[in-house]
Amino acid sequence: MTDIQRYSPVTFESSVKESEVRDNWKIVLAYQNEGPGPWLVDLGHKTRWDLQDSQIDDPSQSGLSVPSSPGTCFLAEKKLINRMNRTQTAIWHLGIEETIIPDFNGFTDVTESTVFLALFGPDAFHVAEKLTALDLMDPARTTPFLLQGPLCHVPCQIVILERHADMSGGFIMTCSRGYADSMVQAVLDSGREFGLRPAGETRFADWVRKVQNQTSN
Amino acid sequence: MKRLRQFPTLHIDTNETRSLKYRGKSLQGFAGDTVATALYANGIRIFSRSLKYHRPRGLYNLDGESSNTCMEVDGVPNVRTENTLLKDGMVVKAQNVKGSVDHDLMAFIDKLDWLMPAGFYYKTMHKPAAVWPVAMKAIRKAAGVGTISADYKVKGRYDEIFLTADVCVIGGGAAGMMAALTAAESGVRVIVLESRPHLGGCWDYRTGAYKENKPLFARARELAGQVENTSNIRVFKQTSMVGAYNNNLITAFQVGKSNDAFTERYVEIRSKSVVVATGCIERPLIFENNERPGVMQVACAHRLARSYGLLPGEAAVFSIGHDLGLEAALDLFDLGLKIRCVADIREDGHDAGLLAALAERKIPVLKGWVAAKAHGCKQVTKVTLATLDGTVKRHIPCDLLVASAGHTPVNGPLILAQTNIAYDNHSGFFLPKKLPEKMFSAGWMTGRSHPQAIEASGQVAGLKALAAIGVTDKTAVFAAEKEAAALPGIDRGCKLVTAPVKGRKSFICFDEDTTIKNIKQAIDMGFDVPELIKRFTSAGTGPGQGGIPGHNLPLFVSKYTASASKPMPTAVRPPLVPTLLATYAGAHHHMFKRTPLHASQKKGGGIFRNIGVWQRARYFSSDFDCKDEILNVRNNVGLLDSSTLGKFRIFGPDALKALQRLYVSDMSKLKQGRIKYSAMCNDDGCVIDDGIVIKRGDNDYYVTTSSGRAGNTVEWFRYHTRYDGWQYHMVNLTDAMGVINISGPNARKVLKKIADADISNNAFPFAGYREFTVKNTIPVRAMRLGFVGELSFELHVPSSYMQSVWDMLMAAGAEFNIKNFGLEAQNVLRMEKGHIILGQESEQRTNLLDLGLGFLWDRKKTAAKTVGAVALRQAENDPGRFKLVGIRMQDDARAPRDGALIVDTHVRGYVATARKSFTTGEAVGMALVESQLSKPGSRLEIYEDECNEIRLQARVVPMPFYDPDGQRMKM
Amino acid sequence: MALTLTCPICGKRNGYEFRYGGEDKGSRPDEKGLSPADWCDYVHMNTCTAGVQKEWWFHRDGCGAWFSTYRNTLSNLEVDRPEDST
Repeated sequence: MTDIQRYSPVTFESSVKESEVRDNWKIVLAYQNEGPGPWLVDLGHKTRWDLQDSQIDDPSQSGLSVPSSPGTCFLAEKKLINRMNRTQTAIWHLGIEETIIPDFNGFTDVTESTVFLALFGPDAFHVAEKLTALDLMDPARTTPFLLQGPLCHVPCQIVILERHADMSGGFIMTCSRGYADSMVQAVLDSGREFGLRPAGETRFADWVRKVQNQTSN
Repeated sequence: MKRLRQFPTLHIDTNETRSLKYRGKSLQGFAGDTVATALYANGIRIFSRSLKYHRPRGLYNLDGESSNTCMEVDGVPNVRTENTLLKDGMVVKAQNVKGSVDHDLMAFIDKLDWLMPAGFYYKTMHKPAAVWPVAMKAIRKAAGVGTISADYKVKGRYDEIFLTADVCVIGGGAAGMMAALTAAESGVRVIVLESRPHLGGCWDYRTGAYKENKPLFARARELAGQVENTSNIRVFKQTSMVGAYNNNLITAFQVGKSNDAFTERYVEIRSKSVVVATGCIERPLIFENNERPGVMQVACAHRLARSYGLLPGEAAVFSIGHDLGLEAALDLFDLGLKIRCVADIREDGHDAGLLAALAERKIPVLKGWVAAKAHGCKQVTKVTLATLDGTVKRHIPCDLLVASAGHTPVNGPLILAQTNIAYDNHSGFFLPKKLPEKMFSAGWMTGRSHPQAIEASGQVAGLKALAAIGVTDKTAVFAAEKEAAALPGIDRGCKLVTAPVKGRKSFICFDEDTTIKNIKQAIDMGFDVPELIKRFTSAGTGPGQGGIPGHNLPLFVSKYTASASKPMPTAVRPPLVPTLLATYAGAHHHMFKRTPLHASQKKGGGIFRNIGVWQRARYFSSDFDCKDEILNVRNNVGLLDSSTLGKFRIFGPDALKALQRLYVSDMSKLKQGRIKYSAMCNDDGCVIDDGIVIKRGDNDYYVTTSSGRAGNTVEWFRYHTRYDGWQYHMVNLTDAMGVINISGPNARKVLKKIADADISNNAFPFAGYREFTVKNTIPVRAMRLGFVGELSFELHVPSSYMQSVWDMLMAAGAEFNIKNFGLEAQNVLRMEKGHIILGQESEQRTNLLDLGLGFLWDRKKTAAKTVGAVALRQAENDPGRFKLVGIRMQDDARAPRDGALIVDTHVRGYVATARKSFTTGEAVGMALVESQLSKPGSRLEIYEDECNEIRLQARVVPMPFYDPDGQRMKM
Repeated sequence: MALTLTCPICGKRNGYEFRYGGEDKGSRPDEKGLSPADWCDYVHMNTCTAGVQKEWWFHRDGCGAWFSTYRNTLSNLEVDRPEDST
């Protein structure tokens, strides 16, 4: 009998130091030699939902409070809620707890649709400015905020979670799943001069905890 | 050659040697040298031979305005050695020489210049017409400068960077630095671009006074230190601006330092405001033999000494028209250069202090005199000076002639941004008359040379840039303007265009060997404006792109035509500075998509092709006819990865309205558990997509599309419903689910081993849709379709589980020897069933009815305003339309190539897909032909490329070619 | 790429992020009484204004919104209102 395993579209060449299996996913908690950062972490196993409804601002329908204007986000208890447009919101689970999709027809589980990556640490935004003309450092926006636009000409959803004047900080992003190999290749290539390396879920969890404890921007 | 050492303006580090190879010898330079200065330091005076006349050319300026010093460096031709920092071990070669630079065998052409007046090739080389092909080959061989092999692979890393700024300053001289510092005070994001490896501009090498006891170079260093220590200013050195576009999009190229991660990179900046402070280059003095080695511009001579420690010669004559010439003469004299004479074009207006200093050193100054002719061929040996009217002459021996008529603002960036430029009589400069919105100019390029005035203009520009973006207000600007107005204004410029000469060897453009005589010839022939003259004589069209003739050409034309209207400069276009194609390409990350099964398909022997943005397995063996793959599906069971199919959830109260608008069929009566196959058309009635629709619940549908259209489907739906205000939602699930197509008579036997459901023909008939699990864990959406014409199950599986399901099916199918099949096999299998692939069996002109798919169209639902319905109705009875037909070759030996034409006296259609079928043994295919040829039995003649007039014979036959009753897929 | 467009959801972006959707010609006309020439005009014929025109754009690399905006075809710059024509 063949084992059932769920595969993320992202594979890193680094040696695994520690991993665990959850819900048939083999999740890397840490790689060898993750270095001082910046880091690239694969979040492919984390649940993502799409919520669309014409009355999306009314939480009594979906059970979920969503930010009121496109481009704004809530980060609450490891759930990142991104308002995309008049009728659509993305929900990205950043923790490790099991999730149950609400019984409301506006929700679609889109975990499988996209690559889900985090890029954070020193020089994170120096890497980003080689990948896109989008202004991730725009001083007029406060973190966390959502940009819908291209990285390497591939449409992405990018949420900037932390940002400092020295171009350190970080963001997380999704794009169409099929682009995983080429997107990871492009990001690692661009980040090489800054020491960008793959890291595991633990480092990501530590970062998110730190971000949540700080006041944003 | 001995270097001057120990003074603060030097940019070379005499502790760090660097060597280069030239003509078999190893020559030594220092860190900070350019290739040109290193060669000069080693006594090289002839750097190249000119394009047409093969005249010896030397170092004339130091910023690459001409191609005199373009050489091949490390195999790369046309490298501007004046702008290229010396790296240890570079291999340098001269270009455009037959023999050596010193003894070029083509030099005799110089004496034949009278055979080659302006535009001579237009007149001579095409009469009779047979002459031209011969002449063309000869010219191509002789023309051009550098050579490159077609196999050459560029070395290095090329990258790209995208920046956003509030103020972008182009030019890192005093004015630019002041503008940047002023703007940065408000906290906004500032970027400075500077071409040279250091900030400082034209003050960098000058010991003249800025203020009291501070020389200009010290002030330049001071400002540079402030700029580089301001955290909100990002400085990019060795970065030349190349393009300016709408909304202040600025592009530039940056050359990397040895410790940078890139060799060169493309820089793109979107800035709210732009300040252009690019300073000036020199306007060449035009006289006979004005381009001999040994003739050079003022800044070139001055910087050779002050920046590179090289005295440019032994004994010099100066022929200049501005105070910078006097200043340079003084400084160079004090550094050890003998100066025989300074001829100044001006009768008056000189800086008294400079004149006094020259007199103190007993350097003769001739006012109202100018160089008329340089003597010597490979090197200047003597100069003839003349009064401006040419009546009195003097001959003075020298080995260096420092010559300059004046200055030219570097207007390229302003012109690219569509600034209105006009000639200013006082300065002789082309100055901006009307700047574009949010772009400002500052510094020397505005005509001011006084140090405080330059700094003040930078401040004003910085404030204007801030005011334009609302960060400061007009009062700050007015205050700064008022202060600036109290300072010295625009200098009076020298207006001399040429020395008093006939101009036969007075070169207005060095790159193209265009002389004053040629310009006069062109004007005499009737070309009356600079733009035409430029092209007819090719002046300014060489690698220097107008660096030498840009200012002089319009001035001379204006003078010679005695035009009443003001001179106008010729246009410039991006890139302002030449660079490698590799730099434009930047990082060029190749972005493509892979299916969840990519790795295992590859391991299974898949041979991939790029189809749109996807990489897909086309073949699974070296047999590109795919015989085994095809017969395995027909007789056994095969697996195909169809993951690229578009998949969408469409839901919401108006979802049905949207489906009715976009699909030609009536979607209102969809039954759950059954598949509806339909098509989408465009407003011309042409089929743009086909796929299936499944109803999963109330107002909740699952829709598939072709792979090629998946990326456009949401856009397409939203476009055609954009005025309606309907409430419906779409989720793109194309990548969320992989698709496995298990096809063949044994398909059910394999699948039932892993499916948690009854998949017998009764429980799951053809055209049915079922949802079940695999191993009680993996949710699967399954459909029975007949694309390849065998028993098939199309399994939609969440992408992360795809590999597991695939592995299970491979294991379950092992007893049947289950095999992969690829896109080519699928292509043939479906062709045998007469099933179309959009784009293959259809094109721009083929509508739904032409393809025989009219049965999909519900004509009655007019209220839906279905996209395509109007056109279909209107075109229904049009004669001569292309129709899709099946064809059978008269000779079954082989099928025609895809795309072969169907002809009689005209082209009547073409073969879409044709193959010799392994299944039936017949050579068959699908074709599009004009309607009068579309009846079964019609004879067709097929014309293939390179068929040597032998046409293939075929006739129209009914489709499908295999299993016409469709029994196999309904098993 | 120089052209910038203001997406109603994302704000001002590089023109290359968008796909042009044609001049605004209003919603599709009723089929009743529509001649082939009328239909061809609606689908294919353009006014080609030398000046400010109302047109549709799709934010292909971003949020996927379809929106209409005004652009001066002579300067290739987006303008705020149709009255802004110089």
